[in-house]
Amino acid sequence: MNKFAIRAITIVSTVTAVQAETVVTQWDQFSQSGISAAGPAMDELILTCAPAIDGASILRTIAPSIGIRDSYRLAVSAGKTPDLAYTWPAASVLAGYARVGALAPLDGYYEQYGWDHINDFYRGRNSYEGSLYGVPMEQDLMGVYYNKTLFAEHGISLPTTYAEFQAAAETFKSAGIVPVSFGNRGRWPATNTFSLILGLTAGKAAEEAVLFGDTPWTNDAFKLAAENFQAWANDGYFPRGFNGVGYDEANALFLSGNAAMTITGTWVLQDMIRGATDIDLGVFMLPPMVDGIEAGTMWGEGSQWQLSASASSETQDAAAAYLNCLLGDEAKQIWVQKANTVVIGTTPEELSEWGADPVVQEFFTAGLSTTENNFYDLHTTLPESVTQVLYPELQLLIGGETTADEFLNKMQTSWELAIANGERWRP
Amino acid sequence: MTSRTAYFFLLPALILYSVFVVLPILQVVGYSFFDWDNGIIGQFVGLNNYSRLGSDGVFWAALGHNAIWVALTLAFPLMAGLLLSAILAERNSSTIRWMAAIYFIPRTIPLVVAGIIWGWIYNPLFGLLNFVLDSVGLGSLAGAWLAESNTALLSLNVVGAWTFFGFCVVIYLAAIQSIDPSLYEAAEIDGAKWWRKFRDITVPLLKNSTLFLGLYAAIEAMRFFDLIWVTTQGGPGYATEVLTTHVYKTFFLVGDFGYAAVLSVVLLAIVLSISSISFWILRSK
Repeated sequence: MNKFAIRAITIVSTVTAVQAETVVTQWDQFSQSGISAAGPAMDELILTCAPAIDGASILRTIAPSIGIRDSYRLAVSAGKTPDLAYTWPAASVLAGYARVGALAPLDGYYEQYGWDHINDFYRGRNSYEGSLYGVPMEQDLMGVYYNKTLFAEHGISLPTTYAEFQAAAETFKSAGIVPVSFGNRGRWPATNTFSLILGLTAGKAAEEAVLFGDTPWTNDAFKLAAENFQAWANDGYFPRGFNGVGYDEANALFLSGNAAMTITGTWVLQDMIRGATDIDLGVFMLPPMVDGIEAGTMWGEGSQWQLSASASSETQDAAAAYLNCLLGDEAKQIWVQKANTVVIGTTPEELSEWGADPVVQEFFTAGLSTTENNFYDLHTTLPESVTQVLYPELQLLIGGETTADEFLNKMQTSWELAIANGERWRP
Repeated sequence: MTSRTAYFFLLPALILYSVFVVLPILQVVGYSFFDWDNGIIGQFVGLNNYSRLGSDGVFWAALGHNAIWVALTLAFPLMAGLLLSAILAERNSSTIRWMAAIYFIPRTIPLVVAGIIWGWIYNPLFGLLNFVLDSVGLGSLAGAWLAESNTALLSLNVVGAWTFFGFCVVIYLAAIQSIDPSLYEAAEIDGAKWWRKFRDITVPLLKNSTLFLGLYAAIEAMRFFDLIWVTTQGGPGYATEVLTTHVYKTFFLVGDFGYAAVLSVVLLAIVLSISSISFWILRSK
């Protein structure tokens, strides 16, 4: 095995010249390319944070982003969780681990280090029965990546209303250009897109009435959202056979200049910026799709840091000090400059000051302007049992094989079962 | 050698088999009677997990897809392999060796790799199949092969057949070459043509090979996972869901270990039943 391969798997940071007494084992998903391509920044930050953890060392293992949640579940089952993990999804799954006692409560560390930049929305998503069990780090937003050149060539201004967005899509379609690149073979991309459409069609309050209240999925606002999503597919906004196209392939289609837009999140910013060699990349926020719904976008943290309950108190203390460093000002700058990753609480002014890529600035300036109206990411909010129904049912919905009513009935059935099993998470 | 000595020599293998095969199976059966919460074992719930099978639509859909897969595998690779090997057997030995090797190549390709290759071939954006259809003026037949419910399972079965077909050819060729040539010579003297010889000599004398391949194919079809997981993950919707993908999702993604154990036990029972039947039939021949 060559040096590079060894480095790719495990990085041991020796903090002091003497042998470290405390070793914090860390699983994360910051790889060298693809989603969360922040591996080099993570390496640098381990070195940067060495002084903060005073004699401890970090033993890092990179797990693929797609597989880390499965690996972590098995680790919980076997009682072999790493001391520190950066895994996904948040909310209900995190609550499940807290419920079975696999995670250490973090309220004391929140107080000790004053992580006040993590607002109530994020604290709620990382809590279970009043205690905090996760430390969210990345600010995830959904937006529309677009090809500025194609927009200019077809005389299209940035859409500020849903009607303008639809008109832009029709123009591109008439010109033989795929309006919205979209690939749902992996099944999860549709969940993100639907989360955004749901927020912009039903609004945050209607979402909360279902997710945290007693309103059923089979309500008119949710039905309209499902119909809107299906209409995009029926109206030819997506490439042919989108349910058989991979997420990366859809991004590649967009980056090659063959599609005008793609709707996805900040988690792929690093790859988008790297890959935008043939196009002039821009970002805008999808406008509200129904009158009376406020502008906003889907917010989330995607993943969160969590501490194992079985780690010793010394290890937990060292891990918390390390986390505090990863969330600090110096680290925030490194995350932005080396990984195009924006830590929660970072302001657009800071992004400008630190010389963040213009696309990063554009994305976060627009996305952070609607802080009170953030929508929920279904993927990270629903229990896994419901998510595993949402995946195939969305494929059927946008594939034109079921109606909005059938889709919502299936979701409601699975939702009721999850509630009966005590799987629902509430902030 | 006394029977005691024989058992003594068998003992290491029996211990290894018990530890690594029998015990894990019993463990899974045991797990199926418990409630689980995020990977942590809970209360004994008796047959409660089993009672969910009846109302699990995905389970029945997956079972149906497995049955279709078995039927299609028996229908195409076996029949085509039989016919082709009968044709090949009449060529010279060098041609037989080369052709058999070429047909066998797909069998040597791991199913994950086969899935990736065929995923590209079927890709709706840049796939070779649609490109070829467009090129020969049959663009109207181009489709999103793995993205549409009515074509996805069949398209994947073509890949399965592609990987299995060469194996059938090799097994049949070996069997045909062991048939006494005087039977064919006598038939020729009686004026029999190729088809008559194939139907009345080759096919009946290859019965055991056909039986072996059929049962082997049926067992393999129940165990299929890799190909489906890398191409469709059981989608679109539930169109290519099979028992193995349902087990995987229930265990790894939902974390419902108890019900995943139930599904595993059912799958095991089906495979063991097919295996037992096959051993019984082969032994009775």
